[in-house]
Amino acid sequence: MNQPLIGKLSLVTGGGRGIGRAIALKLASQGSDVIVNFFRHRDTAEKTAKELQDMGVKAKIIRANVGEPAKIDEMFDVISNDFGYLDILISNAASGVGRPVLDVDVKAWDWTMDINARALLLCAQRAARLMEGRNGKIVSISSLGSFLVWPTYAAVGVSKAALEALTRYLAIELAPKGICVNAIAASAVLTDALKFYIKGQEAAHQQATPAGRMVTPEDIANVVAFLCSEDAFMIRGQTIIIDGGASVMAPFVSTTGGVNQ
Amino acid sequence: MSIEEQIKDIVSEIVRVDKNIIRREGTFKDINADSLDVVQILLRAEETFDIEIPDEDAEQFQNFGDFVDYVERHIAEKEKA
Ligand SMILES: NC(=O)c1ccc[n+]([C@@H]2O[C@H](COP(=O)([O-])OP(=O)(O)OC[C@H]3O[C@@H](n4cnc5c(N)ncnc54)[C@H](OP(=O)(O)O)[C@@H]3O)[C@@H](O)[C@H]2O)c1
Repeated sequence: MNQPLIGKLSLVTGGGRGIGRAIALKLASQGSDVIVNFFRHRDTAEKTAKELQDMGVKAKIIRANVGEPAKIDEMFDVISNDFGYLDILISNAASGVGRPVLDVDVKAWDWTMDINARALLLCAQRAARLMEGRNGKIVSISSLGSFLVWPTYAAVGVSKAALEALTRYLAIELAPKGICVNAIAASAVLTDALKFYIKGQEAAHQQATPAGRMVTPEDIANVVAFLCSEDAFMIRGQTIIIDGGASVMAPFVSTTGGVNQ
Repeated sequence: MSIEEQIKDIVSEIVRVDKNIIRREGTFKDINADSLDVVQILLRAEETFDIEIPDEDAEQFQNFGDFVDYVERHIAEKEKA
């Protein structure tokens, strides 16, 4: 099997479950050692780390709330001491408060922004030093909510817009250090959590997607792997949309081409 | 100050309610704590008592008393270790 990432070290924030787990597994399948950051689900993170080790790579879990600067520092201190280098940073962890915009108070705003947007700033600052001379890659996981409006998604959507803007700044300012920085924006992804929420509506979701099915965590992981490869060297500061074509469809038009009545 | 009193202080500060309305048999819902309040209470308790409270455990709490008992048990276990 082709394993271009042998000898590399990746950090996946929120890598214990969902999309982060799929990304961790994909990077490991390409040979990368993986640090799985988690916050509130240690058991799941441990299980993922075990899966990674079974694939023959080194895996380590580190607990840190990426919303807290001191915890990010502690996490990177551990990485510095134990490894002294880093090749790939995947900023995937996210949280948020789902409320209509008029109910988003300061606490909800700060919580969401700190975990979803500021964490990339602080992680990238520490990661850049560990990536010195190693052609590092940074990929952030955003969502279509950065430019489309979903109900009760205001705080998260704005935090994702900030994440994408920061991705552009990082891409330019870290380019001289040989670091490639990009983001991925996904539409609704079929994770366990989402399966629960959209129970019974799978057909409608599928129908609204020109590609004919919903986006899976593996779809995201595949593009992450590409952005972390040397083939993607000239892609910088971009947000790659993974939505099976849903966001380019004009409103009120069905996937089969007719106009919905 | 007892652990129960310290936890009451944490809860009353975060949820902004009078300490005296927090009862062992009461729930977070009773004092109008939203999900973000609950996460922040758990985080503050983790820091104050230097323990870890995974979501799986927190979901089992039926009321404030369960939460206090949990914290007391884990502090005791930590001290034994
Ligand atoms: N699912 C979707 O439909 C969808 C669509 C578009 C974009 N996305 C984006 O994809 C990424 C992953 O989504 P998901 O659906 O896999 O997420 P999820 O199932 O909600 O899980 C969130 C992940 O983030 C971690 N996390 C949350 N708060 C954290 C904190 N403060 N510090 C460190 N880790 C924290 C969690 O770790 P613990 O469990 O240990 O707390 C968990 O691994 C997110 O950026 C999300 O916005 C998701």
